[in-house]
Amino acid sequence: MSIQISHINKRFENFTALSDINLTIPDGELVALLGPSGSGKTTLLRIIAGLEEADSGTIYFNGEDTTATHVRDRGVGFVFQHYALFRHMSVFENVAFGLRVRPKETRPSEEEIKERVHKLLKLIQLDWIANRYPSQLSGGQRQRVALARALAVEPKVLLLDEPFGALDAKVRQELRQWLRSLHDEIHITSVFVTHDQEEALEVSDKIVVMNQGKIEQIGTPEEVYDRPANPFVYSFLGNVNLFHARVEQGSLHLENTALNTPDLGASKEASLFVRPHEINISVDNAEGSGIEAKLIGWRLVGPRVRVELETLKEHQKVEAEISKSEWQNIKAHENESLFVHFESARIYTGEALWNDYVI
Amino acid sequence: MQTEHRLEPKWLKPLLLGITLLFLGVFLALPLGVVFSEALAKGWKVYFESISEPDAIAAIKLTLLVVIITVPLNTIFGVATAWLIAKFEFRGKGILITLIDLPFAVSPVIAGLIFVLLFGSSGWLGAWLGEHDIRIVFATPGIILATLFITSPFVAREIIPLMQEQGTDEEESALTLGATGWQTFWKVTLPNIKWGLLYGVILSNARAMGEFGAVAVVSGHIRGVTTTMPLHVEILYGEYLFTAAFAVASLLTLLALLTLVLKSFIEWRIGKKRSLAH
Repeated sequence: MSIQISHINKRFENFTALSDINLTIPDGELVALLGPSGSGKTTLLRIIAGLEEADSGTIYFNGEDTTATHVRDRGVGFVFQHYALFRHMSVFENVAFGLRVRPKETRPSEEEIKERVHKLLKLIQLDWIANRYPSQLSGGQRQRVALARALAVEPKVLLLDEPFGALDAKVRQELRQWLRSLHDEIHITSVFVTHDQEEALEVSDKIVVMNQGKIEQIGTPEEVYDRPANPFVYSFLGNVNLFHARVEQGSLHLENTALNTPDLGASKEASLFVRPHEINISVDNAEGSGIEAKLIGWRLVGPRVRVELETLKEHQKVEAEISKSEWQNIKAHENESLFVHFESARIYTGEALWNDYVI
Repeated sequence: MQTEHRLEPKWLKPLLLGITLLFLGVFLALPLGVVFSEALAKGWKVYFESISEPDAIAAIKLTLLVVIITVPLNTIFGVATAWLIAKFEFRGKGILITLIDLPFAVSPVIAGLIFVLLFGSSGWLGAWLGEHDIRIVFATPGIILATLFITSPFVAREIIPLMQEQGTDEEESALTLGATGWQTFWKVTLPNIKWGLLYGVILSNARAMGEFGAVAVVSGHIRGVTTTMPLHVEILYGEYLFTAAFAVASLLTLLALLTLVLKSFIEWRIGKKRSLAH
């Protein structure tokens, strides 16, 4: 089922949670709503579910206006960050709940309920804990039960609010992949909210980046990561070094060093965005156009080394991520002047114009 | 076994234990013993006669009637208020929470007086009530009203924090799964608060049976008509009928002990639930 969101506005007292949101989610896609806290992503999800009411605007399911439809009748499955399992019911009863509360005419028989619940428990690979209570399960198991419970009523749309937010890193990683393969299996239109860019990049078909109640960019993970629409999207999708530079005689000047950029036109202020892995460090500035800096710290992060430097002229902190072999080379010159080079970067000149810069 | 950390001097624990036991002995165990020994001082026959004479029976019946009416009403009121406070956002919530506690803050005698001033023959509504031949003060309705007022906070107080802690996620879950509001209440909300609710009901019940101050003001002390058990005890005592007074008092004491046992059982259940959840 496709979802169409049209001109949705929502205010809480003096706070604008959503302003004029327009979004179409095609049938069968897995879409991530990605943004920092307060960006309105959860509010939008709750409005799609019918748990929250928009001040204005319309929600269509398959082209049909569902704005006024009660949450009970919308046919959405909702998964909460903190699982929200019924704590006094066994796993089996939790999953069966949606079937048991149906009016007599549409309620399946006891055998059918049993069969369907066990089928779902098999799907989440938890058939063996049907008689346990939520308090006896691990976080990852609870969230899988919550998902099975939501799927039991055969929803047309699956909505997940930070589904892995309360889990530890390893379980989160596993569940992500599991959700992705589950979606490939059942192809239900799904929307999940997350503030974790990695999660959004890894799991979703499409990412909707949100900030301050507005949509900043909609695109596939590749599009959003490789061609961010603006500085916000760029800095939100990973660590980034931001430099303030000037364009003079067409090229970019940073700390009195001219960079090899394409012609940027008239003189103006510019911002330079560089990801830590796009930075090279050299000891001799053989290639030229390196910015002089000194080493102030380093840390091993798994197979890579995160190096912190400070530029000599303007004392700006620079974070770089390099391989171990490169680090061995630099470490020998730890106390000398080093040179920072940009392998690639993005230049923002405030005219809603992005320029790629590649050496 | 817990390891004992010797941070305090050795004599502190026995000293504190001694003080506590002495206090409990003098102010609780001793009076409890006195109640039963006085009640049975003239033998079982007198004891049973004292609690089966018509006025005593009337007092017991009236007390039970008050309990049967006030406890369910306050349970409904408590659940409704707690639900409102815990699950909805609205202006003036803080004031409402304070107001719920008002009966705890007001002296019971004042509470009784309020009803006399409202419904008494010279009270605000007295003339109108007189015309329509409705008696509230110095009659059973007054006693029920005063007890309702006094015991109204117990259930609400017990379950508001519980419901606030549990939030609205489970209810919202139930709704998205297609449950009606009614189904959500019976299958999700109520089971989650049942032990806290029962605890509140028991406290409310204990107070409804034992309330003296507010009831004394509105009752008018008409023997066999408007005397509840605590009032009956007082009347008997005032007439130097000590054995009879203690006999009826022993009934109230037994009810109190039963309440304590139930209360401990529920606390034990809640404790077990808590430890399961962690």
